[in-house]
Amino acid sequence: MEIVLVTLLGGLLALDGTSVGQFMLSRPLMAGTLLGWMLGEPVLGVTVGAILELYLLVSFPTGGSRFPEGATATVVAVASAAGSTTPGALPLAIAVGLVWGQLGGVTITALRHANSRLVPEPSRPPRGPADVTLAHGIALLLDFARGAALTFSGVVLGRAVVSGFGVGWHLAPPASVALLLVGGSVSAGILLRDLGGLRRRRTLLVAGMALGILGARLL
Amino acid sequence: MSRSLPRGALASVFLRSFLIQGSWNYHTMLGCGFAFALLPGLRAIYGASANEIAASLGRHVELFNAHPYLSGVALGAVLRLERDGTDPETVRRFKLAVRGPLGSLGDALVWASWLPVLSVLALSMVWLGAPGGLAVVVFLVVYNVGHVGLRLWGFRVGLAEGRDVGRRLARARLGTWTHRLRSAGALFLGALVGSVLAADGGLADAGAIWVALALAAFLAGLLVGHRAWRPAAATVVATIALLTAVGMAQ
Repeated sequence: MEIVLVTLLGGLLALDGTSVGQFMLSRPLMAGTLLGWMLGEPVLGVTVGAILELYLLVSFPTGGSRFPEGATATVVAVASAAGSTTPGALPLAIAVGLVWGQLGGVTITALRHANSRLVPEPSRPPRGPADVTLAHGIALLLDFARGAALTFSGVVLGRAVVSGFGVGWHLAPPASVALLLVGGSVSAGILLRDLGGLRRRRTLLVAGMALGILGARLL
Repeated sequence: MSRSLPRGALASVFLRSFLIQGSWNYHTMLGCGFAFALLPGLRAIYGASANEIAASLGRHVELFNAHPYLSGVALGAVLRLERDGTDPETVRRFKLAVRGPLGSLGDALVWASWLPVLSVLALSMVWLGAPGGLAVVVFLVVYNVGHVGLRLWGFRVGLAEGRDVGRRLARARLGTWTHRLRSAGALFLGALVGSVLAADGGLADAGAIWVALALAAFLAGLLVGHRAWRPAAATVVATIALLTAVGMAQ
């Protein structure tokens, strides 16, 4: 029953990513927190969501570009690590999530190619509203099915990886989290570049760092 | 002019604009979604004339693209032009003229500013010890007030201005908003970096080597830009696989 709920959630969040609304429930922090709460592991959900949100800070569904799919990555990672007590559960689940996020991007591109054959051809206009509505509805259903299938396969594989290889992990928990944060630090650097670069934003960046360090010490 | 279109039809077009990307494709991009969203308005304009509705749909399934949140500007303006009986070639030229600006303005304002700035804010809250649920609620509420507000504003501007939406868009100074958001983003990003370094369970707790590695990764991202992302993610995945394999072999 749990895998059915997780699969349905994966399909719905995949829709939010590009096709329906884009309310950003599909961002990793939101998806991770929601799924963690659903699975009774809120701390795990927030942890996985926060780590993947850091990685995907610079991943946006812009135009026709290929981008990693954050919702799939997060749902797969949280569901793979949930319930596991092996020491490697978190890093292995994140690794599977990162790979599945990339795969999600590939399947979105494939779906968009498929949609090209589905939508009414401008040179042969639709006979009426039903042609447009049907093509649009089928494309939405296909996107949901894509997200659900990707989530299901990712969770099955992720759980097998975590339970099969998680015992082989020997880094201590703080070092495991640090390893994951090092990878995410690249995205923080890219974001600073996107926001205007170090030379232009250094004052605000340093002021923010001071506030962050102060806040971490006081709160 | 927009007042002469039934409120129900306008509301329906606006709600359908949330689905406009549902059939995004590499051939006509938003074309089919644009026609799908416009349909209730065309029914209100052309009434029972199935031929006119089909002819209009045929024109609107053609290639079109825009940022989804600003697509309402084009939807509203096209509805007004169709209602005014503007000739189809003028409507086609209008759509061609606005599709570039509506895409680039939206990408800069939303994807490259509004979204990452609020994501960084939510992440900073989590690292500073706020409950995850609170950070999520703050993000979703603030983000979507801006998101839905922008969609609504754009649709109303399109309906009110028709072909002249360009002047209203210029007056709105979306570029200035983008600049301000990016300044706030740099401050929040600094707060995130500081909290990840200094919080309990953060990088400083793991040891100086991890701080040095994170600094190197940060600088790599800063210098190389988006091309650094995939190699960095692949390196993390490969490192995890390698450490696991070594651990299993022992």
